[in-house]
Amino acid sequence: MRRMTPPELGVGIGWRPEIAGFVAALPGLRFTEVIAESVDADHPDPQLLALRERGVTVVPHGVRLSLGGAEPVRPERVALLADRAQLLEAPLVSEHIAFVRAGGLEAGHLLPVPRNRAALDVLADNIRRTTDALPVPLAVEPIAALFDWPDAEYDEAGFLTELLDRTDALLLLDVANVYANARNRGEDPLDLIERLPLERIAYCHVAGGDDREGVYHDTHSHPVPPEVFGLVRELCARHRPPGLMIERDGAYPSAAELRGELDALADAAGLPRVT
Amino acid sequence: MSAPSDGGRAALAAAQERLLRALVAGAEAPDGFDRERLAVAARALLRKRAAGVARAWPRLAHGYGERWPEVFAEWAAARPTAGAWRDGWDFARAHRAALPPPAARELAGQECRWRYDGAADPRPRRGPALRRVPGGVVVGLLGRTAAFVRDAPRDR
Repeated sequence: MRRMTPPELGVGIGWRPEIAGFVAALPGLRFTEVIAESVDADHPDPQLLALRERGVTVVPHGVRLSLGGAEPVRPERVALLADRAQLLEAPLVSEHIAFVRAGGLEAGHLLPVPRNRAALDVLADNIRRTTDALPVPLAVEPIAALFDWPDAEYDEAGFLTELLDRTDALLLLDVANVYANARNRGEDPLDLIERLPLERIAYCHVAGGDDREGVYHDTHSHPVPPEVFGLVRELCARHRPPGLMIERDGAYPSAAELRGELDALADAAGLPRVT
Repeated sequence: MSAPSDGGRAALAAAQERLLRALVAGAEAPDGFDRERLAVAARALLRKRAAGVARAWPRLAHGYGERWPEVFAEWAAARPTAGAWRDGWDFARAHRAALPPPAARELAGQECRWRYDGAADPRPRRGPALRRVPGGVVVGLLGRTAAFVRDAPRDR
């Protein structure tokens, strides 16, 4: 098995065209992430390449591979991730523990897989097919789900631990997803964090959300709640991951507000500020 | 490590398709799921789609103002997505007679540049094209469009 120590990344923020100027102006930034499928191989955004030139690590983050889909992963989608990793000289790529299509239909979103043996076998097989064709390690991210499948054979910690045991994938832990799922299931988010193999974390996502219809939605377009920064503190007290980053995907706030969130993240993690 | 059996993949495929049809195609919720939560998730997916279409078709969405997410969701609830660009186009075609003027010009602009029958992916138009819109016309040639409209801002 090919395992490697994840590179040190520090505090970052997801690169999006709408905030490219803000990201470019962060003096201490060493790490960002870009939606892999949004990068045009022939005409990559010059602002993204400029970051790379400056020595900022740019991690391609896939959203359409469907690692948790019943079908074997499509080679051309894996090839896209491999290509973007090479284009951006990335030390790793990431994707989700989710399915995004079935029966010829696109979900347009990340959907949860059932936590049972059959889904574990499929996920492990799809991850192996992916890592076999990638030039760099793969980190997999557990998603925020608004519902669970019935008849689960594992709880989330058991499912993720076995999946990581059976593959050489790293973990992309989204702290906001941990918070969202725990809230929506009426569980304690620390229970999950304490049972995961934290040394396998490549980096972490942190994002905001909103209460709606009695459920917490991980929207990426609201402020990061204080409880999520609290969880970051708890996580880093146990094991500080190599990198942590803010994900913002809409209703972009002022630069001052974004800088405030980046500073709050750095302070919670005990890492240098990048602003 | 146990490789997934063909039967395991097939059963998972069927279960995932049933769930997805309930979420995006208006089908009945599969047994055992929390129906209320699935309905919440289906509405969240529709809001996300509406936001994606608003990015691909800004004038169309803007033409409906604050009602956009609701108007789009009502139309899209039982229609699985074909991607934001085609979703917006399909919506605009379905509402052609009642589109707000900026939305009508946006649709005309697209139709002057692309051929789209509502079924297959749009293809670029080769020859010139002309579309009537409220108060004027939109003309397309060589992948560019221009609007000639009384008392209205020119399209990009």
